[in-house]
Amino acid sequence: MSLYQLSNIVQTYGGRPVLTIDSLELTAGSITGIFGPNGSGKSTLMRMLAFLEAPQQGTIHFNGNATSITETSLRREVTLLTQQPYLLKRSVKENIEYGLHVRGLKSTSGIAADALEEVGLSAEKFLSRQWFELSGGEAQRVALAARLAVNPSVLLMDEPTSSLDEESTERIRNAALRAKNERRTSLIIVSHDREWLTSVSDSTVLIRNGKIESTQCG
Amino acid sequence: MKKFAALLLALALLVPAMAQAKDKVLMMATTTSTDNTGLLDELMPEFTKDSGIDIRWTAIGTGKALAMGRNCDVDVLLVHAPGAEKKFVKNGHGVDRTQLMYNDFVIVGPAADPAQVKGMPVEKALKAIAKAKAPFASRGDNSGTNKKEISLWKAAGMAVPDKADWYMQLGQGMLKTLNAAAQKGAYTMTDRGTWIKYMDVNKGKTPLKIVVEGDKVLFNQYSAIAINPAVCPNAKVELANEFIAWMASPKAQKAIGDFRLLGKQLFTPNAGK
Amino acid sequence: MGFIYEGLLKAFELLFNGNPETWSAVYITLCVSSLSIFFTILLGAPLGFVLGYCRFKGRETLRMITDTLLSFPTVVIGLLVYSLVSRQGPLGDYGLLFTLPGIAIGQVMLGMPIVVAMVANAVENSDSGMKDTLLTLGADNIQVLKATLWETRYHLMLAGVAAYGRIVSEIGISMMVGGNIKWHTRTITTAIALETGKGEFAMGIALGVVLLIIAFGVNFSVAKLKRRAGQ
Repeated sequence: MSLYQLSNIVQTYGGRPVLTIDSLELTAGSITGIFGPNGSGKSTLMRMLAFLEAPQQGTIHFNGNATSITETSLRREVTLLTQQPYLLKRSVKENIEYGLHVRGLKSTSGIAADALEEVGLSAEKFLSRQWFELSGGEAQRVALAARLAVNPSVLLMDEPTSSLDEESTERIRNAALRAKNERRTSLIIVSHDREWLTSVSDSTVLIRNGKIESTQCG
Repeated sequence: MKKFAALLLALALLVPAMAQAKDKVLMMATTTSTDNTGLLDELMPEFTKDSGIDIRWTAIGTGKALAMGRNCDVDVLLVHAPGAEKKFVKNGHGVDRTQLMYNDFVIVGPAADPAQVKGMPVEKALKAIAKAKAPFASRGDNSGTNKKEISLWKAAGMAVPDKADWYMQLGQGMLKTLNAAAQKGAYTMTDRGTWIKYMDVNKGKTPLKIVVEGDKVLFNQYSAIAINPAVCPNAKVELANEFIAWMASPKAQKAIGDFRLLGKQLFTPNAGK
Repeated sequence: MGFIYEGLLKAFELLFNGNPETWSAVYITLCVSSLSIFFTILLGAPLGFVLGYCRFKGRETLRMITDTLLSFPTVVIGLLVYSLVSRQGPLGDYGLLFTLPGIAIGQVMLGMPIVVAMVANAVENSDSGMKDTLLTLGADNIQVLKATLWETRYHLMLAGVAAYGRIVSEIGISMMVGGNIKWHTRTITTAIALETGKGEFAMGIALGVVLLIIAFGVNFSVAKLKRRAGQ
């Protein structure tokens, strides 16, 4: 089933085209890996898929419907973990529960703890910590836990492993696979680590110089 | 949130306390010499006790005090520049100018007396200082003392020094000017009251000595002036007159005469004389 | 050297024996600076936030004006406020000259540009990831605005503390507008300036010590807040 359908997309920054996609289809219920050299337009693509920026030309269909970035409801289905995630200046618990809070959901006590355990952090130890009491890797994982807690239908991850050690990288892989298998989340992951990406993805897309060069099924 | 509420409450209490409109507040502009010597600190609590008037004063030079009077910012003046005062009254800014007391000016200088002016009359002394280009510290703030000094240069038949290397215009109060003169080894002119206070503060240890005194032209008259309510409707002329009357009363006049520093009398009362 | 030592000794005596003149200046300083900082933040923070958050015509010009006002000398503000509140001035009827609220007007003018500029900068330069994060976690526009306010709270405090440091140590406004009236408008700084002129070094030193302690407290909080604000 088609999750995203992109047609005739052109995105320019300051008059310079950074991304041109004639047609791209991403399927639901799978993990799609996107790789390519630095500056090839991967992050721009991810921001568009997360409905954080609109393409200058072209259309993005989501679940068969035309989309606009002014719709908050879309961003409540799709969430993006950026390369250097920002943590709110609040406790770990509040960071993880923010997504539930804005949806007007009462957070049951277990959600934040479960999300933390999911990314391999001890709830007992980390739940009450403040944002400034975390290392870079811990902050990265808390940010991921915050995305898992809202149980998105699509989880976008931009270079989720760039600042992590091997063990944590493996943990991200497991978390991604579990999200796909147990929660039926669709995942789209950008990484420069092609080997790792292939190991986790069902299909891959190669972007170079702002253009799709090839897509292949894993 | 509680803290914020407490803060708001504190401010709510604070603002009215500060803005409190007291009717019997009398605002006075005076010269640094009456304040710096401590005379007002001694006299004013008595005045408040007798009259119930809360008197507040700002101590600035006579020139600035007169300007504040012209701007209707004060109710009464206690100043010492007879010429400027008479003009102030003549122009309608003030009423009921009343002489209250006097002291005299002295010229002080380094003990070594580089211009050799000791014991000279004022005119000769100033000429000698200018000729020797001996350092001279001037208030330079248009105060009563400064006006007096300027008039003395003129009386000595000289242009008032301005951009001369030896002539320092400080723009400071009398005590600061004395301190500066001591540091720079300069001559300066001061009222005797502040001079005694200066000696008191320094416990008599100072490189400065009186070199010229007793000349008639060095007479220093202090007067009070009420601000004219016809020009300044805000001016509290009744309170001002009450103050002036009290200052001229035998009780206050005696207190002025009794005010001493280092056992020396600073001011001579002369109300009604 | 002797007289500095003597002055210090007497200073501590004045402070610990509760010398009313010394403590009156401290109390008045705290009163007027609290009043000033309250209104500085009350007026400056929303203005700074709007300036940093919203995009409108003339915004750049406003930013430039604020930045210029940052270096407004206190004596010029003092002169300006004096001419405003003097009986002959446009606000003369309120009788604000020689009062603490009068001084506060000037101090708010002094503190405002600091708060406006710092808050505007903080909001404008707030991690661009912040807005994306709030959006991608599902916040709508109102929720983004609310969260941005909350996220910049440390910058706001930082701005407040910086402005307070400037307000509490200024002398030009207090002197010109307040008139250094004993028991009423004599603040720490005007007392130091004039009492020292009168030869009261001990009181000057005592008040200097208090001012230093306040300044130290301010700098300490700035350092702490900067860490929190992530600068």
